[in-house]
Amino acid sequence: MTDQASPIDIILNDLLERSKELNTIYHVEEIIGEAANLELPQVFNKIIEILPHGWQFPEICQARIIFMDEVFEPEGFVPSSICLQSPIQIEEKPIGMVEVYYTREIPNLDGDYFLKEEKKLIDTIADRIGETIFHRKLKEMAHEWDHAKQRLHEKEKREWRVILDLLERTDQKLFILISRKMLYQLFWKGINEAKEIMATFFEDQKHSDPSITEDVNRPSQKQSLEKILASSREVFQIASNYMSDADISTRIQKWIQEDKASFVFKVLVNSDAPLAEAIDAITRYRYITSGKDNPYIPVGKGVRVALIRRFLSDHLDYINVAKEYIDIHDFFQLIETVIYPSGSFGHLGGKSSGLFLAEKILKKEFAGTPLADNLRVPKTWYITADAIGSFITYNNMEEITEQKYKDMDQIRLEYPNIIQLFKNAIFPPDIIKGLSLALDDLGDSPLIVRSSSLLEDRMGTAFSGKYKSLFLANQGSKVERLNALMDAVAEVYASVFSPDPIEYRIERNLLDFNEEMGIMIQQVVGIKIGKYFFPPYAGVAFSNNEFRWSTRIKREDGLIRLVLGLGTRAVDRLSDDYPVLISPGRPNLRANVTPEEIKRYSPKKIDLINLETNTFQSQEINSLFREIGSQFPALHNYVSIIQDDHVFQPTGFDIDAQSREMVVSFEGLATRTGFIKQIGKILKTLQDRMGTPVDIEFASDGRHLYLLQCRPQSSNPENIASPIPRDIPLDRIIFNARKYISNGRVPDITHIVYIDPDAYQNLSDSNQMLEVGKAVSKLNKILPKRQFILMGPGRWGSRGDIKLGVSVSYSDFNNTAVLIEVARKKGNYVPELSFGTHFFQDLVESSIRYLPLYPDDPEITFNEDFLLGSPNVFAEMVPEFAHLSEVIRVIDLPGSTAAMNLRILMNADIGEAVGFLTAPGVKTTDSQPSNREVSPHSSDDHWQWRLRMAEAIASHLEADRFGVQAIYLFGSSKNATAGPGSDIDLLIHFGGDDEQKKLLQEWLSGWSVCLAELNLFRTGFRTDGLLDVHYVTDEDIQKRTSYSVKIGAVTDAARSLPLTKGKSTRKPK
Amino acid sequence: MKQNGFNPFEMAQAQFDKAAQLIGLDDGTRELLREPLREYHFTIPIRMDDGHIKVFKGFRVQHNDARGPAKGGIRFHPQETIDTVRALAMWMTWKCSVVDIPLGGGKGGVICDPHNLSPREQEQICRGWVRQISRNVGPVLDVPAPDVMTNSQHMLWMLDEFETIHGGRYPGFITGKPVGMGGSLGRTEATGFGLVFHLREALNDLGLKPKGTTAAIQGFGNVAQHAIRLFQDLGGTVVSVSCWNQSESLAYTFRKKDGISLDELLSITDSFGGIDKEKARELNYEVLPGENWIEQEVDILIPAALENQISRENVDRISQQVKVIAEGANGPTTPDADERIRNRNIFLIPDFLANAGGVTCSYFEQVQSNNNYYWEKDEVLGKLDLKMTSAYIAVSELCRKNRLYMRDAAYIIAIKRVAQAVRDRGWA
Repeated sequence: MTDQASPIDIILNDLLERSKELNTIYHVEEIIGEAANLELPQVFNKIIEILPHGWQFPEICQARIIFMDEVFEPEGFVPSSICLQSPIQIEEKPIGMVEVYYTREIPNLDGDYFLKEEKKLIDTIADRIGETIFHRKLKEMAHEWDHAKQRLHEKEKREWRVILDLLERTDQKLFILISRKMLYQLFWKGINEAKEIMATFFEDQKHSDPSITEDVNRPSQKQSLEKILASSREVFQIASNYMSDADISTRIQKWIQEDKASFVFKVLVNSDAPLAEAIDAITRYRYITSGKDNPYIPVGKGVRVALIRRFLSDHLDYINVAKEYIDIHDFFQLIETVIYPSGSFGHLGGKSSGLFLAEKILKKEFAGTPLADNLRVPKTWYITADAIGSFITYNNMEEITEQKYKDMDQIRLEYPNIIQLFKNAIFPPDIIKGLSLALDDLGDSPLIVRSSSLLEDRMGTAFSGKYKSLFLANQGSKVERLNALMDAVAEVYASVFSPDPIEYRIERNLLDFNEEMGIMIQQVVGIKIGKYFFPPYAGVAFSNNEFRWSTRIKREDGLIRLVLGLGTRAVDRLSDDYPVLISPGRPNLRANVTPEEIKRYSPKKIDLINLETNTFQSQEINSLFREIGSQFPALHNYVSIIQDDHVFQPTGFDIDAQSREMVVSFEGLATRTGFIKQIGKILKTLQDRMGTPVDIEFASDGRHLYLLQCRPQSSNPENIASPIPRDIPLDRIIFNARKYISNGRVPDITHIVYIDPDAYQNLSDSNQMLEVGKAVSKLNKILPKRQFILMGPGRWGSRGDIKLGVSVSYSDFNNTAVLIEVARKKGNYVPELSFGTHFFQDLVESSIRYLPLYPDDPEITFNEDFLLGSPNVFAEMVPEFAHLSEVIRVIDLPGSTAAMNLRILMNADIGEAVGFLTAPGVKTTDSQPSNREVSPHSSDDHWQWRLRMAEAIASHLEADRFGVQAIYLFGSSKNATAGPGSDIDLLIHFGGDDEQKKLLQEWLSGWSVCLAELNLFRTGFRTDGLLDVHYVTDEDIQKRTSYSVKIGAVTDAARSLPLTKGKSTRKPK
Repeated sequence: MKQNGFNPFEMAQAQFDKAAQLIGLDDGTRELLREPLREYHFTIPIRMDDGHIKVFKGFRVQHNDARGPAKGGIRFHPQETIDTVRALAMWMTWKCSVVDIPLGGGKGGVICDPHNLSPREQEQICRGWVRQISRNVGPVLDVPAPDVMTNSQHMLWMLDEFETIHGGRYPGFITGKPVGMGGSLGRTEATGFGLVFHLREALNDLGLKPKGTTAAIQGFGNVAQHAIRLFQDLGGTVVSVSCWNQSESLAYTFRKKDGISLDELLSITDSFGGIDKEKARELNYEVLPGENWIEQEVDILIPAALENQISRENVDRISQQVKVIAEGANGPTTPDADERIRNRNIFLIPDFLANAGGVTCSYFEQVQSNNNYYWEKDEVLGKLDLKMTSAYIAVSELCRKNRLYMRDAAYIIAIKRVAQAVRDRGWA
């Protein structure tokens, strides 16, 4: 090409070349097309004839094909240095070469003799040739297999020989593999001839395997291959001498099958392979093993563990159990219901793992029993844990991951915005598609979207309730439902960044853990009645019963909390309602025995989904019964009728749903169905197999029992056994106990209320005994909430015989942290304690602990001297009952024993509890941060901040200018019980004139408004002013009127705040 | 077991001694009446659910049956003391006597805690109790009833065992049975109605009729509800009702100056007698603090909730308008308050008498059972009216004649009747 060639010429030239190439390809295709009838050599010859026409200079061009060890070249072929090659490959293994030569020197462009397009051309052709050859091979193989099958039918004996024969001819690699396996078998059996062959095998292996060597063109390798094949045949010869035909046959079959599936295992074991590949592999495995002709290919433990690790959990405890119960076919269904972003690795999170494993365990253990039919798991779709990452990246919200490192106040403030942000974000299209598929599969029944975070499956951390679960009514058009679902998922995602779990993680040093959150989309178990959707009954069950209402119930007997409707009412502690409690190990011993108790402690409300309004709501059971009671299936199993004091179970035919005498008691369910037994068996089985006590959530649709969740029971902070320190100095121990212990930890008790059992017994007047009850009630209102304990003679709340215990009702002591009953021996006879039975369920729901003490038992310490000898502040607190000071003793711990608090630790595992004095807030050897119980009460933040603010006010206050004598802090800020919206209660001892008072009030109101703003920022709580100021004068103090009593009070005294500017205000407390 | 401190039996005896002194009983009679006639102590061996045997202690104290077969409850209690039971048995004698029903007094029970027992084990205990004492109880000897921690189911089990032993149907053996299984109609209303019957008679004595009078009631349980119903039917107006609010652990008084509507309040009440505060407000009831019930400007106060509700602290807040206090509960007035009420000349119907409707209905159950014929409700309530009225008249006459306080008069009449019976029989 000369430079003067016009652009048109260049284009024309290019086009010409192009057409030549196309022509060549066309011709090659034609040849191959006819090739069905031709032998390979003929095909090759034809091809080399037409090939040169596709090149620039056909006249001086020659083509050559090398196939295996044969060479096909035109006559007079002269190899030259100008050569273009392309390998012919079958299954990526080179078996030949296509070559094009120029016999003479030709002009080159940039050092290249061949055009780009020519290179492409030759590659294309080589590929086509390869494909053709492969195609032929396959045809041959198919043919051979058919033959073999026929021969198999004819000859029964030595069928394996036939197979091997076939294999040798069609798939040598597999043949060699199988013979090697057989060799190992023989070797392990100790057969000598095998040993000899072994040596040769390994030697030749190095040279023979065609896939190892790069260079195909070595004739010598043919020999080694031959040798190998010969050895292989020999192996089987030997084998036939030592093993039966059937044996050999089965083994060969097995190995062939295994080889088929080997690719699956390779992918699965590779943990770096993306999820899509793994799912692909599983699907292919399933395909291979489906169908009656193909025998099942066993999957090794290694692969199972790999699968478990990928999808479920990599905790060794979990894997240890899971590998016995989960097999590859358990994943078949799972993978069809997983939604994942591209590039996902697949973890499903703790909740999903727990449930999955539990289901498999139960299915296996109960196989064949009627229980197996009855037990189910609701249909669930899963979103992998890394989808949240993809969601965040898709919306360019990466900075959000910094959220958890921010200041708690900021997190709190920003959280509502984050929710909105997430809700308005868009899901990546592959997730949307997945969700849409999920909706199609799940139908239009209500759904629950649950979080399943990676942290949730760590033992010892309790994220229950910290992340959201959302109910969806799932009604309406597909678009509406999809939007609602996406909304819900987004909201659950947002809850990763909510202040509560972040705080929780900070406390446990888990903040840096990459919190990924999987999602479970589950069908809500239930039935439709009227416009409502709910399960007839649901609840939670525990392997270990930490709330035993009778000494005859052991910890291992377990506990079920049952409610009508959605199980949400059983999971949480309710402030206004009670679930029905049954212990599966002792179903006959119920917590509520008398008709009043049954009535009082029965569920009054029900959670359900209203399909009309598309909402989740709580409703009064009575009004629900009135509305749909007659349609409620098997209602007679769930209620009892109470007429006057007669409690009975209705027979079911004519229940009057309008009746006011119906209470929910589950009597019929407990006594006339196998339900309790079933749950008991489930709990026991899961505990045995998983090696740890479990807690499960379940629901029933009236016909089947559904398992909704399963996790280790120790994940609940309430149930953590507090380690009992062994090094407490004896003089600090107030009491210990060895019988009937439940788990728990009560750290900072500031007051002990001790009713001396002897003094109480000696009261001569029943009126006085009643007064003790009244006094306790008063104390209950005065003492700081949950920071005092009540100790008294057995049977608190005694009815009938007041001598046996103090006459109180639940409301008289509901602020106590622990209720303790002391049983002292009377002669040979130790009184029976009540275990709080009269208000047992109230204790449970408000987390008041119960502890029985038996001071006269051996090895028990009961420091009565301390209790009787410490200064008694009762008379000053409740002066109207001062005459009972001998009986009721109130000990103010920080005041009397040099600022120590009482700490009570209870450990049910070893059956020990101890109450001892210790400095407040100090962790002795007993606590590790990861096990520390999260206090359900207000975070320390609030009162501490308020205290600081109060001190700041005091320090800024110009006492002289405003005529202030002293300033005190009291109320919740002083008592460390302040909540996010609490006031700061200030008491000002004022000694100035009206003018000064006005100024002071203005100054303080300014502070009040500012603090309210700050508080809004910190907590989101809006108040008009944060200060609540009271003024007292000298006169008030003298007369002890109004708030002045708080100054210098015996207990709960106002705290004096240091003023600057010289006024000394230290008043003795 | 020597006991220091408060001894309920000694206290009951002291009470009796005082009254005996007033009546002028001779020593012999006094000595007879201040002790129980018979006491049975026995053991009940039970095979527990898990197979092991546990032995329970049971007992029955029959204080006095001169006027008729002994009557009294059976209680299950983990540490019953015999002195309490003796005191209660004595109390039953007086109670039956004051309403003039032909029954004596008794009490009994088993030392156990039903919370620790399965239903089957409880049944065993009930039957075991009857087995041990079957020779000494029965429709003509001693008629038990439910009490603390026992209920109608236990009564039925005991009846069944008794009938098996004695070979026949003896529904009159025990009371407290459910309607349809030997129970009497009208039992739910009995105490409340009984109270109002006494009230009506008391008003009559004062020259008043229920119509035109107003009342304030503390409590909104069974007794209060039925008392209100009847009182309003008779034309009275109930101005306020106070009750306990479970969730707030507080009491509230609900007032409507021109009369509360019972049905309205019932519709917003939960099953323990707690009225919904918000809904009450919506229905235009004033919601006041619980303790305000006592200062209402009404003619009649009815404490029908717990004991010790009228005490030194609040007795002076009683309005000047109040003329009658009818004690619907047990022991709602403390002794010091009692003193003040007496001084103010407010007429008081003692609990002893006022809430005897219950025991009277129990007697009716026994009567119907013995006849194997069960009356309709209006017949039961009609007879109740009669009985209450006569009982009241007897006491109030004694009051007038001897210028006694009602409480003392009631007690004295009760003892007198028993003393008379004992003498008539030739026992003393």
